[in-house]
Amino acid sequence: MVNNKKGIKLLMVFAIIIVAALAGFIRWHALTTLNVDYDEDDYLRAAQQYTTIFRTGDWDALTETNYRPEHPPLAKIVFGISLLPLPEKPLIVDRPTSAGPNQYLPRDLLRNARITSAIFGTLTAILVALVDPVGGFFLAIHAFTTKYVSQVMLEALPGFTSLLSAFAYIQWKKRKNKSVGWLILAGLFLGLTAASKYIYCVVGIAIIVDWLILAIQKKEVKKAILPILGWGAISILVFFAANPYFWVDPLGRLQETILYYASYSSTATEVNNAGYPFWQPLVYLFSTPKSWQPNSILVAVDPLITIFAILGFKSQIKKQSLYAIWVLIALSFLFIYPVKWAQYVVILTAPLCIIAGEGFNKTILSPISSWFSRMRIKKSESKAVEGNDTKKALPWLIPGITVFVAFTILPLVFGIGVSLTNFNSVSIKDGFGGGIFREVWSGLTGKVKPVETEFPFRDKEVGYIGTNAYPSTMHYLTNSGVLFFNFFWTIVSVTLQTFLGLVAALLLRQNKVFLKKGWEILFILPWAIPEMIGALMWVNVFQPVTGWLSLGISQFGSGFPFSFLNGWQNSSEMQMLVLLIAGVWYGFPFMMLAASAGLKLLPNEVYDASAMDGANGFNKFRWITWPMLLPLLIPAVIIRSIFAFNQFYLFQVFPTGQLTMAGLSYNFFNPSGFFINGQFAISAVINVITVGFLVIFVMILNKWSNASEGVTYA
Amino acid sequence: MRKMNWLKQILTQIALVVIGFYVMVPIWGAIRLAFDGSLKSRPVEFRLFPKVFSLEPFFTVLDRPYQSVDFCQLLVNSMIVSIGAAFVALILGASLAYAFARFRFPGKKPALFVLLLAAMLPPVAFMTPLYIVLSMVQLRTTLLGLTLVYATFALPFCIWNMRAGFQSVSKELEEAAFLDGANSLQAFWHISLPLALPSITIAGLIAFLMGYSEFAMGWLFVSEAETVTLAMSIYAMVQSGNAQPWSILASMFIIMSLPIVIVFAFLQNTLLDRMLFISQKK
Repeated sequence: MVNNKKGIKLLMVFAIIIVAALAGFIRWHALTTLNVDYDEDDYLRAAQQYTTIFRTGDWDALTETNYRPEHPPLAKIVFGISLLPLPEKPLIVDRPTSAGPNQYLPRDLLRNARITSAIFGTLTAILVALVDPVGGFFLAIHAFTTKYVSQVMLEALPGFTSLLSAFAYIQWKKRKNKSVGWLILAGLFLGLTAASKYIYCVVGIAIIVDWLILAIQKKEVKKAILPILGWGAISILVFFAANPYFWVDPLGRLQETILYYASYSSTATEVNNAGYPFWQPLVYLFSTPKSWQPNSILVAVDPLITIFAILGFKSQIKKQSLYAIWVLIALSFLFIYPVKWAQYVVILTAPLCIIAGEGFNKTILSPISSWFSRMRIKKSESKAVEGNDTKKALPWLIPGITVFVAFTILPLVFGIGVSLTNFNSVSIKDGFGGGIFREVWSGLTGKVKPVETEFPFRDKEVGYIGTNAYPSTMHYLTNSGVLFFNFFWTIVSVTLQTFLGLVAALLLRQNKVFLKKGWEILFILPWAIPEMIGALMWVNVFQPVTGWLSLGISQFGSGFPFSFLNGWQNSSEMQMLVLLIAGVWYGFPFMMLAASAGLKLLPNEVYDASAMDGANGFNKFRWITWPMLLPLLIPAVIIRSIFAFNQFYLFQVFPTGQLTMAGLSYNFFNPSGFFINGQFAISAVINVITVGFLVIFVMILNKWSNASEGVTYA
Repeated sequence: MRKMNWLKQILTQIALVVIGFYVMVPIWGAIRLAFDGSLKSRPVEFRLFPKVFSLEPFFTVLDRPYQSVDFCQLLVNSMIVSIGAAFVALILGASLAYAFARFRFPGKKPALFVLLLAAMLPPVAFMTPLYIVLSMVQLRTTLLGLTLVYATFALPFCIWNMRAGFQSVSKELEEAAFLDGANSLQAFWHISLPLALPSITIAGLIAFLMGYSEFAMGWLFVSEAETVTLAMSIYAMVQSGNAQPWSILASMFIIMSLPIVIVFAFLQNTLLDRMLFISQKK
């Protein structure tokens, strides 16, 4: 046992060293190869000013210096210190915030400042590895984080101190609120965070929320107020102490900052021109910056990390709620805040990676380890398995499997084959003449090397390209937002369908509802109407100019009901809303029927008992109906999710730019389409990726419904 | 349970009216167009009811809704393709479904997983290989080719659901037949198949609907006017814009949906079970 513990400790140390090396290496590569980005010239100029102050010893100037005063000075001061060993250079020119990146910065200054940033970035990854080595690994390779902590940006230092603040708070929490030292440290680091970049203070809000939840659970809210105030006071004190610019006229300068933010976020041209939808931060989390500069970003699997974080979210809440709360609060803040620059996601990538580590452990590691231990038990048992009737099954299996393989498996295998080539509508003749078999066979047997081709493929002869198309297609899917939209659509539309379906089912379940049967038949109409026709009916309502709504508004003015939806085609939020209106319409009846079927199975006795105890309607729902219904509803939710994930006809019919993977695959394929057409190979690649995602969905379905074991429901 | 009081009844009815309004908006939007005899092209004014009530659009549709193709031809094509696909899928899938329902054999669990996965794949996942293979054997632009395409989409789903049907027939009945000297094919033919027929029909119905309402793959594979189906013609009419009165399009929506709506209203619970991939109700 002791040996085992020692072994685990050694393993931990080893894992942390690996994470440190990996994070350091990836960041070093990034900082030496990344082009100069927006703002880097500004912060370098600010750093130069501080370097001058340190050299001349003109300490009074410290209180008057803060170039780009919208951000507090601490991170800039640290950059200034990093420039001290270097020879002095002329001050970088002052340019407006909207100016493009200045590529002519002094290289040595740039490098020193970037190294400083990357050191903090690496330390953050090491810190995360202390909590969870897998999470640390994720943060080490997280591409967006890597990019912004390897440049002269204000992200690395507050990212590091905010995590330290969270750590200290958790230590205090673990010690049952007794060790005040940790609390003081938590306040100290929060103050330092605030003195580097304000937005990172979301960790402070998360701490307060977590703290209050805990206090409410323990019914000790009054007891908690004093420590919270003390902790807050410490962080404010530290903030002012670490912020020399605020030493003179603190209130005035604070006001100046707040006013700046208010006007920047609503009037700055670059903010308005970007025109991002409110969910843009999620798009970043589901994409990577690889395509911006492919040579600098070595690993780009951010979407995968986000997916693991989603998978691990629930168990993280139980394990250590602060990280989950932190991510939620940071995300909601980023949704509301009108400025949507990509670097802002760094405020939540550290907790995100911790949660992703938890997700990885839950979904990959622990199933594997439990499988191993089960294998051990199985082996030790005797091999007396019940006899099976393979012989009797063979006459049925042989034709059945032949058909299934011919119609289902072979096409899929063939699709994988096509995905390894550059087959397209120009090479169609060669392809049909056996070119695909020839190339895939010689490619897989090593007779030919993968050829280099450029997208879109227009070669006249089929060529074997290996798996080359996979990474670029994956990047296309993430960067064009298609992958994100696909998941976002699935989650939002199915949630709304489930909600509306459940509401309808509960309404109709009541005793003696007037016209019950009539309502029921009416509500299943959308389900019975073919999806394509339902979508066209909605197009008829929403079409710009000629649709029902547009006609109504042009005739009756803006007082017409739902006139706020007019012009929906101009913004991605409104497009989403209109698509959701149509998608939920089509999907909710299925959920209503599933919920009704589930509700019929709930025993009446429990309700009678609760009525005797005087439970009201809401309490009955919350404590009886919902917990008993949920397991019955989950298979339906998963099946609807799969349908929503594959949804195609709605998007094909509705004139928006939004597409799911199925739609993208179709449009890449279609030889007579308007898109980048005839890209048979790319379409096959997208299909293989889709199958990969569906495997995960079906695994979840299988777990919840035991579908393949033949026992479900009730 | 006691009867609802009137306040609760009113609140419930209000909520139901709101949902009903949501359900009816697009449907009514199509209905009021379909019966409007005054439309020459796209609608130009907002109306809740047809300006000139008329059944003319329906007659036009039933005669010649799209270019030179007549309705009967479209309907026949649709029926050939979707009934054909359903039959092909049912017949080809039967033996595997029966094997899954009746026998234990090694690899059954992973095989069921693959089957379930295949049933969940979007049609586009089969598009690339089918397009290539059918082009190679020169069947791509024919109705037979389209039938095979839709049969491929429907096959995994049909196998899964027929399996459920066979499982619901008790094994003892077959064993009794064996005692009387029947072989396994006879037992299947005379006992399991007739008893499982209702659920097989449902599986066939869903397979039929897949083909009946499919248009995108159809246009990918088919290019000649003689092989266009009803659903495909609707999509083509939408794409052609304002060339003909919208009332024709809307009445086609209704003609195409009405039979399905009736079937769904009668079979809602059974269809739900099949679409939930429920295999045995205990």
